[in-house]
Amino acid sequence: MSSKYDFPILELENVTFAYSGRETIINNLTLSVGNGEFIGLLGANGSGKSTILKLASGILQQRSGRIDLWEKEMQSYRNKDRAKLLSYLPQLLDINVPFTVRELVGMGLYPYDILPHLTVDEALDAVGLADKAESPLTDLSGGERRRAFIAMTLLQGAGLLLLDEPLANLDIKYQMELLKLLGELKEKKGIASIMALHDINIAFQFEKVMLIKEGTILGMGTPDAVLTGEMLKEAFGVSIEVKRADDGSTYINYGSVL
Amino acid sequence: MFRLKLLLLLITLALVFLGSLFLGPKIISPFGYNDIEKEILVSIRMPRSIVAVLMGMALGGAGAVLQGILRNPLADPYILGISSGASLTAAMGLLTGFYVFGRFSIPMTAFIGALLVTLLVGAFGRKRGVILPDRLLLAGVGLSFLFHAILMLLLSLSTDEGLRRTMLWMYGDLSLAEWSLIPYGTVLVLLGLGIAVSRFKALNALILGDEFAHSLGFSAHRERLILFVSVSLMTAASVSLGGTIGFIGLLMPHIMRFLIGADSRLLIPASAVAGGAFLCLTDLIGRSIMPPMEIPSGIITAIIGAPYFLFLLRRSNVLKI
Repeated sequence: MSSKYDFPILELENVTFAYSGRETIINNLTLSVGNGEFIGLLGANGSGKSTILKLASGILQQRSGRIDLWEKEMQSYRNKDRAKLLSYLPQLLDINVPFTVRELVGMGLYPYDILPHLTVDEALDAVGLADKAESPLTDLSGGERRRAFIAMTLLQGAGLLLLDEPLANLDIKYQMELLKLLGELKEKKGIASIMALHDINIAFQFEKVMLIKEGTILGMGTPDAVLTGEMLKEAFGVSIEVKRADDGSTYINYGSVL
Repeated sequence: MFRLKLLLLLITLALVFLGSLFLGPKIISPFGYNDIEKEILVSIRMPRSIVAVLMGMALGGAGAVLQGILRNPLADPYILGISSGASLTAAMGLLTGFYVFGRFSIPMTAFIGALLVTLLVGAFGRKRGVILPDRLLLAGVGLSFLFHAILMLLLSLSTDEGLRRTMLWMYGDLSLAEWSLIPYGTVLVLLGLGIAVSRFKALNALILGDEFAHSLGFSAHRERLILFVSVSLMTAASVSLGGTIGFIGLLMPHIMRFLIGADSRLLIPASAVAGGAFLCLTDLIGRSIMPPMEIPSGIITAIIGAPYFLFLLRRSNVLKI
């Protein structure tokens, strides 16, 4: 870890998890997230990406091991206090709620009893939805809807965002916009995020990625170090060729199923 | 803007209430009534109209809360069997002479029934923590059948007094309304509404889903339980005041969501006020169109509500509340 991230805000140590009566899905997982880190979480379907995010947000409780948020045991937080430190966005594929954008975004203030550091309008500005404030969420495009939820999270003021596949089913333009927005949040406010991902090409844009398989970490580090053909083959069960373009950017070719 | 709309709703309620006092099979002039007319106003119409308003408020408020916690636009205390569960325990309490809570015996036994059914329906309708809308409805319908059958059994076994009350609970009837019902009815309705409105943030968060509720700093299980208690209080109040009346809890939140939006802080009180006005109005219609016969309000609300329920069922997106 570079010195820039000297303070870990979230630490999982030897965490194991299984739903009652079923097989272990997270096995002896150890990871640490520093202030302002931006981590991509990559793995095949069912590899445990969502479960890791739910453990890290305190929704699920580990069977064994330790999960600390700001050096304090996760489950020892009061709900409201935890909500000021971390915010979790579940997959939003089928979210269909009757609120307007303004009503939804305003919910980000629920953990607070004091005046917010940010207003609803400022949060909407930050995600470029100022002109849609009074629209019902159901009238928004998929990309706009996700930005509305991000705005709610911004208002919540948490320094750590755990996002479950926020890019899934989004047009590439919206994917880029959302990534840019999160990048800005990191630069301006030092907000850390862990994002479950599907697209390996997009993972190359992260400064740090974590590749998982069957609930254990195959590799963690820079994309160039982790996302090699060998590792990806191990994680996804297909041969994947990692290529480098003339401009230095990296892209991949999918091979055949093994 | 919302204040204006709520004010308009309250004015509507007041007008309907006054209408229900002075209109009806016998029209009484508000500016000059004789002693007999005064007696009709004070002893019959006033308690009846107050009971109608209280019941309607309870049902409208309960519907708004239920649709939110269960994330289901078809939820209603009647459709989910909560009303019939409350009627059943109240009838059983009455028939077995269970008067432990004094004056509050009937509403208390109704409350216990309502809470048990609410929890039961909630448990049946969920699988691994996810609410399945169709399962939820079928669970409610199934329980409703069961309670109805047991009520019928009690009816066929019961004595005259019990019989009359049991009939009342099966079909909903405001003609038995009297002043003595009003104090405890008011207490329960206001308590239920108060709890619900004070938890509006949690309810909004639960509408987004349990995981959002967690992320926004609420314990989903705890908040849901508190809100179930508030629904049960309101349903019990309504059942012990005038029996089972359906569909107000379905209709009012829908109309109000369209008029004032989905924020629970506004939706719950607005649905309650609208429910009060609506039941008061259907009661006035029920006793006015074919005097001296009375059409029970429950029948009128069902004639309006059941087709709307079917309409909602046909809409493709059942989850969109």
